[in-house]
Amino acid sequence: MSVLSSVLAAEGAFESHHWLFPETKEIIWGGLAFVLIFGALWKFALPQFKKAFAARTERIDKELRGAADARQAAQQAATTIRSQLGDIEAERARLLADADAQAAQLLVDGRARLDAEAVELESKAAADLSVGQSRLAGEVQAEVAAIASAATRRLVSSQLDESTQHDLVEQFIVRVGASR
Amino acid sequence: MSDRIDAYANALFSVAQGEGILDEVEDELFRFARALEGSDSLRSALTDELIPAARRQSIVEDVLGGKASVTTTALLSFVVGAGRGRDLPEIIDRLVHRAAGAKNLAVAEVRSAVPLSDEQRERLAAALANATGQAVTLKVVIDPSILGGIVAQVGDTVIDGSVRSRLDQLTSRL
Repeated sequence: MSVLSSVLAAEGAFESHHWLFPETKEIIWGGLAFVLIFGALWKFALPQFKKAFAARTERIDKELRGAADARQAAQQAATTIRSQLGDIEAERARLLADADAQAAQLLVDGRARLDAEAVELESKAAADLSVGQSRLAGEVQAEVAAIASAATRRLVSSQLDESTQHDLVEQFIVRVGASR
Repeated sequence: MSDRIDAYANALFSVAQGEGILDEVEDELFRFARALEGSDSLRSALTDELIPAARRQSIVEDVLGGKASVTTTALLSFVVGAGRGRDLPEIIDRLVHRAAGAKNLAVAEVRSAVPLSDEQRERLAAALANATGQAVTLKVVIDPSILGGIVAQVGDTVIDGSVRSRLDQLTSRL
């Protein structure tokens, strides 16, 4: 039983014709009250509700948009990062390739320089060896000549007895006498 | 300088010629000059002006030791005592050439490792005269350093038949 019917009953002015259904007045007053309350709600509460709902909707929508923007930004950032990662990878690959190329070039240059230096050293060593051989050969030859000369001089001196000296003088006299 | 050397040479020539032993003196002086050229110590002793003249003259007499004539010794002592020991070889060479020139002979300076006999000297002089076209007087110097054979010089002409020169040539070829 409603409050209104209870009030009416307490006043004795309300009486139901059926225990299941309310009295006509109750229906009228109830309906009227309902209309009033409904109208009041419609008039005052509904706009506030709509406003609150709209605000909430807008807030949610805003949050959704923000989330979408954030998601898009995140996706863009991810794309950028992926791109940058790709660039970094490419840069890394390029740097590695450059480093490899430079290392290869350095290796080639170093080998070429080493080869040239080796050739130069070999040539210089050969020249030094040749000079040393020539000098040594000259020294040996001079030494041999000196030894041979000394030995010959000693041998000849030992062989120059009186008879040989006499023969040498005679040969000189004959040779000088025959010349003119 | 040259005049002074000529003057000394003429003086020596005149004394030797006056004594009548020109050839002997000339020969002894020549050998002394060669000995002087070959001995640094003797040359130093006879040319050192710090040594008194009397001491230098006594050195000459000691070196000759009676192996030379009195005239030769006196002439050498005179030159050395006059402080002309440094010029002595040149003075003697002038003397030798003058003596040879007086006889129309050229001086043949002969270096031999061994002494030459008179017969060898005569034949060598004849051979050199034949080779040079002028009569020569021999001035023989015993020089063991040539080892063997003879080196003869007449004027600017040198005839080298020494064993030393042959060994030197052999050494050069080696």
